[in-house]
Amino acid sequence: MKKILSLLNLVAMLAILLLLYGPLAKIGLLPSLPSLFRGGTPKIEETPAIIQQVKNIAQMFTQTFYDEYVYDTGVMRTPPFNANKRLIFIAKGEVIAGFDLSELNEKSIIRRGKSIVVKLPPARILDVVINPSGFETFLEEGEITFEESKKFREDARRIFDRNARDKGILKNSAEQGRQMLEKFFRLLGFETVDIIIPESR
Amino acid sequence: MNADPQKKPVTRKRLLILAGVILALLAVNLAVPRKKVPPYVSARTLKDLAELATVQYSVTKIVSYKDVAWYGDRKILFETAATVKAGIDLNELADQDIKLEGDSAVTVSLPRPRILLFNMKPEHMREIFNESGILRSNFSNQEKDGLLSQGEKDIRAKVAGMDILQRAARNARTLIESWLTKTGFKTVHVVFKGKGGRP
Repeated sequence: MKKILSLLNLVAMLAILLLLYGPLAKIGLLPSLPSLFRGGTPKIEETPAIIQQVKNIAQMFTQTFYDEYVYDTGVMRTPPFNANKRLIFIAKGEVIAGFDLSELNEKSIIRRGKSIVVKLPPARILDVVINPSGFETFLEEGEITFEESKKFREDARRIFDRNARDKGILKNSAEQGRQMLEKFFRLLGFETVDIIIPESR
Repeated sequence: MNADPQKKPVTRKRLLILAGVILALLAVNLAVPRKKVPPYVSARTLKDLAELATVQYSVTKIVSYKDVAWYGDRKILFETAATVKAGIDLNELADQDIKLEGDSAVTVSLPRPRILLFNMKPEHMREIFNESGILRSNFSNQEKDGLLSQGEKDIRAKVAGMDILQRAARNARTLIESWLTKTGFKTVHVVFKGKGGRP
């Protein structure tokens, strides 16, 4: 009985220490408990980068949209114990718009003496870039799987795409493309340059 | 050899006090909030570009990390993929870089090609293996981000050593030559600034 009581005492003291540590770690005065069990700066192993495909392209980038967005999943409850989990991350990246010039054909360029008409395809979003270094986890509660996290990141990319469109990236991209090509063809000696760009959808 | 009858209530009393302290601390733990949620921030800027991408490389890399410790190991393995586009920045093209020789011949001096875009899409990443010892914490999202960022840095460094810029230059030359021929020029010379010869 005496042994059990002293063991209970010890367990209680340990519990008190842990419970004292918790709030101090939460407000950032002490490192979190899991971080005590982690090593120093992790370093990945040396592995090769392998080229899977090489593709010839002809893309003209005419506009970029830098964005920074705080993504909050909100509190999610997971069965069977209804445990709470939440992820807040900051995503930084860019959306690139321009023209796919591989769509140009013989009929796209018409020259008559010192005049030229160039028919471009509509401006479109060519890339949405948020690399791993562009994600910063701000808050992580509960166990969030890699697949779940991937889903949220893909959603952040869609938000970037939407924000860029709302900001008028396609209109600006078409205008910049027109100005750029006009300047280029005038340098080539053309006096009248007509750049036709269909409206982007 | 009997236990002191006075000592039993004292020990019980002490345990009760300890239990009370534990309950109070539990309440404090629940009451103390974590770091505050940041306010919504956004730095949205549109910027003009004038870049011509002429080659695209798709590159894959396995990112692996082993954290070995006396109290247990943690191991993780990802399959990652990146798309890299290279080409020329036409903003660097100055008026004097286009030289007309009559109506049918032209020489264009293009800027040297460079990497224009590096993109590691989340949908092209896969966690293949993830295991932590019983005494070890699981890999957090922040840790995974750190490892994937190292992978990104490594791919960037390795791509720079590949022949992507030579290919970009070759394709840029072919592309410009083809466009200018379509516009009616019979003789088109494309050279790269800094070096005169064919890349």
